[in-house]
Amino acid sequence: MIIPIRCFSCGKVIADLYERYVQLISTPHNDEGDLTPDGEAMDQLGLNRYCCRRMVLTHVDLIEKLLRYNPAEREIVKLGQRQ
Amino acid sequence: MPSWAPLTDDQLAEQRRGLSEEQLQQRRIVNINSETVTDVSGTDIPGHYGPGQDDTWDLNRFAQNLKIDYHQNKPNDAAFSLIGVDASIANAFRRIMLAEIPTLAIEDVFIFDNTSIIQDEVLAHRLGLIPLTGGKAGLDQLGWFKKPPPKDDYAAQAMYDQDDLPASASTPNDHNTIVVSLLVDCRWATIDEDGRDGKQLAKDGETDPAVRYVNSNIYAHQLVFEPQGDQTKWFDGENAIKPVNPDILIAKLRPGQRINLRCHCIKGLGMDHAKFSPVATASYRLLPSIDITAPIVGIEAKKFQRCFPRGVIALEKDANSGETKAVVADPMKDTVSRECLRHDEFKGKVKLGRIRDHFIFSVESTGQFESDELFLESVRLLKKKAEKFKRHLTELEEGR
Repeated sequence: MIIPIRCFSCGKVIADLYERYVQLISTPHNDEGDLTPDGEAMDQLGLNRYCCRRMVLTHVDLIEKLLRYNPAEREIVKLGQRQ
Repeated sequence: MPSWAPLTDDQLAEQRRGLSEEQLQQRRIVNINSETVTDVSGTDIPGHYGPGQDDTWDLNRFAQNLKIDYHQNKPNDAAFSLIGVDASIANAFRRIMLAEIPTLAIEDVFIFDNTSIIQDEVLAHRLGLIPLTGGKAGLDQLGWFKKPPPKDDYAAQAMYDQDDLPASASTPNDHNTIVVSLLVDCRWATIDEDGRDGKQLAKDGETDPAVRYVNSNIYAHQLVFEPQGDQTKWFDGENAIKPVNPDILIAKLRPGQRINLRCHCIKGLGMDHAKFSPVATASYRLLPSIDITAPIVGIEAKKFQRCFPRGVIALEKDANSGETKAVVADPMKDTVSRECLRHDEFKGKVKLGRIRDHFIFSVESTGQFESDELFLESVRLLKKKAEKFKRHLTELEEGR
């Protein structure tokens, strides 16, 4: 759901790298607008072993979807409409 | 004189002379053949090579052969060679580094409020895995916290009663527990407080949660250390308890959600829970040895080079014939894939192996200690264990 704090196999901390990883692979790194390939991004972040690499490479950030179902937020919006 | 009689110094020297350097070197090698691996066990056991030889363990000889070379020494990543010890000793160091060096981690989490979508137990687990650091001296003097056993677990209770720690170790106090708290509220960004109107931005199509809201992500640096009693002295200023990686994402919130909790951190061992392990990995491999027994030249040399990872085999011009010749440049880079043994043209020209007493360690610290420090600590702990065992043996002998 949310990025695990550590790599399941070796215990390296990866939760602080995920946002940087997403940033790296989603923003162009040169003038031609090329995106950094996943592998290079992971190399830059120091994810050398394949156990840590699979942690960020295959992670599906489902929490972003679940965060959309927020009753409190709906209430706030409703309150805003009433005023 | 019987054959098993201890050798005199003269005889010993004679015998040493009898064995060439090459023969001695050959004894250190684990042979790796195309289908099998032979000579796996160590041979430095007295009597292994028959009665005529003296293989007794000798401190001077051991000290002469023992060597430690650092290849790389960064605080959170060290690589070094440990040469001249048995696999059991090297493995003891590795296991001690993994499981028996105490570190600090969050153990108990008291959740006062958690309206986020991360469940309490998941959140507590995530918090526990965050590596913490602080003043070395303070952490050293920190005592053990002994968790009282569950009321219905009689076996655990019996163990608990046997332990020789004082009863005060079971009550959290400033000598065994460190308190860290987290209080985060997520809300819409407002003009008054943040200089931007999150709701208006959202209407205009802004999708970035970090812009629309305040505190939408909780990071490890938001944990607040609350020194208790004596701890103000030990952990003040830069010695304060803090997470090693400040940017660890703990949870994500949306407006109206809130997390309010207090954590008790205690000292623990990796054998109890992996979160207490001071290393991410501590592992070793044996140094590969590549022995080219007959010259490999010309186009074959090129092919031979490609059988190995880059940098292992170099091509050299032979001074006499002027042909290129394959030579071993850096066996440490080899992965011992045995690819070269699959080709007929190299048959009988190369012998692969590993050096049995050359351990290439790689220690990656999670940050509470420096990697080289961890190795020294493991040596110290093994020594302590050996001393304890020796003491018990004498007690046994004396019948106590």
